[in-house]
Amino acid sequence: MPLIETHGLTKRYPGVTALDTLDISVEPGVIGLVGANGAGKSTLIKVLLGLLPATRGTARVLDLDVRSEGREIRERVGYMPEHDCLPPDLSATEFVAHLAQVSGLPRVAARERTAETLRHVGLYEERYREMGGYSTGMKQRVKLAQALVHDPRLIFLDEPTNGLDPAGREEMLDLVKRTGRDFGIAVLMSSHLLGEIERVCDSLVVIDGGKLVRAGEVAEFTATLGSLEVEVEGDAGALAEALTGRGFEARGEGFLAHVGLNGADPYDAIRDCVVELEMGLVRLEQRRQSLEDIFRPDSPEGEADGV
Amino acid sequence: MSERAAGSIYDLGYRRYEGRRLGRRDAVLALYIHGLRASFGLGRRTRSKIFPIGLAIVAAVPAFVQIMIASIGVDDLDIFRAEDYYGYIQVILVLFVAVVAPELLGRDARHATLPLYFSRGLSRSEYAWARYGAMTTALLSLTLLPQAIMFLGNALVGDSFTGYFSDEWKQIGPIIGSGIAISALLAAIALIIAAQTPRRAFATVGIIAPFLLLTFISSAFVFNLENLVGRLGIFLSPFGVMNGLTHWMFGASGRAGDDLMRADFAGGWYFLFALALTLVAVALLQRHYRRRSL
Repeated sequence: MPLIETHGLTKRYPGVTALDTLDISVEPGVIGLVGANGAGKSTLIKVLLGLLPATRGTARVLDLDVRSEGREIRERVGYMPEHDCLPPDLSATEFVAHLAQVSGLPRVAARERTAETLRHVGLYEERYREMGGYSTGMKQRVKLAQALVHDPRLIFLDEPTNGLDPAGREEMLDLVKRTGRDFGIAVLMSSHLLGEIERVCDSLVVIDGGKLVRAGEVAEFTATLGSLEVEVEGDAGALAEALTGRGFEARGEGFLAHVGLNGADPYDAIRDCVVELEMGLVRLEQRRQSLEDIFRPDSPEGEADGV
Repeated sequence: MSERAAGSIYDLGYRRYEGRRLGRRDAVLALYIHGLRASFGLGRRTRSKIFPIGLAIVAAVPAFVQIMIASIGVDDLDIFRAEDYYGYIQVILVLFVAVVAPELLGRDARHATLPLYFSRGLSRSEYAWARYGAMTTALLSLTLLPQAIMFLGNALVGDSFTGYFSDEWKQIGPIIGSGIAISALLAAIALIIAAQTPRRAFATVGIIAPFLLLTFISSAFVFNLENLVGRLGIFLSPFGVMNGLTHWMFGASGRAGDDLMRADFAGGWYFLFALALTLVAVALLQRHYRRRSL
């Protein structure tokens, strides 16, 4: 049973199509939802939660229909919104306990779960202080805690690292990872930073302009799309041609050639070709195989940061 | 720091919750109680308590003055009468809803907490009902409570407790009925206005202004036009309608020369009008939250 499944999911606002006939199917685990700002990540999460009605198409979450079984879905999931959502004049304890009760936990259990969950996210004595005085990092922790307090089966995290400094980012990612891996709660986490997704997620869904770009296992992405950078004294274009002739994916320009690492080991072939073409081999380097490289043209990381 | 240290020893990490889960009725009840407490600033800073609790006390002042007068032993001197009670405190009632309604609805909009509610098992309609229930109940402590205090006080300080009861028991029904009707009406009107803006100041002014303006306009109609249109002007004023339905429930007539006497409608009309107004405002409130985009 897929965790989330959509068919032709479309969400149109006057003048803008936020989601465009989206077909996705993801298995349980920690899932990354990637896209530049405005790609439709938040809209997709809100539609899956039933906070926004879809214009067309169907969606199922935990094998429940978003349109007709919205309440059943919402009882089983947690949601951490992207924006600030904490009343400044309440303490974290009061606020999270209140939301736990609204989620159906009895009063005493709500208080116990609140204390446990806030400790889990790393909030200690501060939890009795008014949240208006919290740092961004502490606020993000409370937001995560309120999504977890009723022990959901799936949590939607919308840009959980937004506004955090590098150390806070690391801690939040670690927390998300532990929540997903160690406690068996499925996670759908959106981010415009591929590096984060790569570190935390098992699988990812890439959307752009409301359309599905790619979906699959993170490992699969990085394994098939690594490449070798070869620097030669001579015409790299000729080397690339020779390698292509041997069945490799290669392109070259000037002194640099890039060779794909799909399947077969290209090292021997490169050596042989270089010898055949009587070139000097200067450098042979495996490029960092990150998701950034794969999607660089589609998702410039810098532009969207912190907006 | 001790807790952090203790945490590292006893921390069992995240644990699953295997306990009981209650139904939606309990979820709505939790939201209702939270709203009721918030209405009086309970669990908030002192600053949030001053206005609502202060106004609730002021609303009961006429009741206590009446009891004092009665206790001095001046028999049959009812300076403050039950059927006129809401007339005495009408400004207090409006100030109260103008302070509390933005607190109940505006806060959730201002701090963007609505998505946290709506992403839980609670429906939008249930949210609106819980808020409306909390506001109405909070108002009862300014309407029903002072009336009850005055009734019991009059009975206790008089010569004969049972005698007062047997003479005046017929007031109990109207006291409860008018308290509920007026609280339900004011709560509905104030909330639908407060739902329009997250800004507290706008909401407060938005609630007070129409009440006062409509009262002036209504008086102008009733006193200056001697025809049916002028008489109908009484329905423009929420205060006029409130007092009209209260008098009808108590079976009392207005005082010579006041708006109610001049308008001269059968009391039941005020009640029906108030009922219709309440239902329309509640329906609009439900519609507002059903359609609200997040």
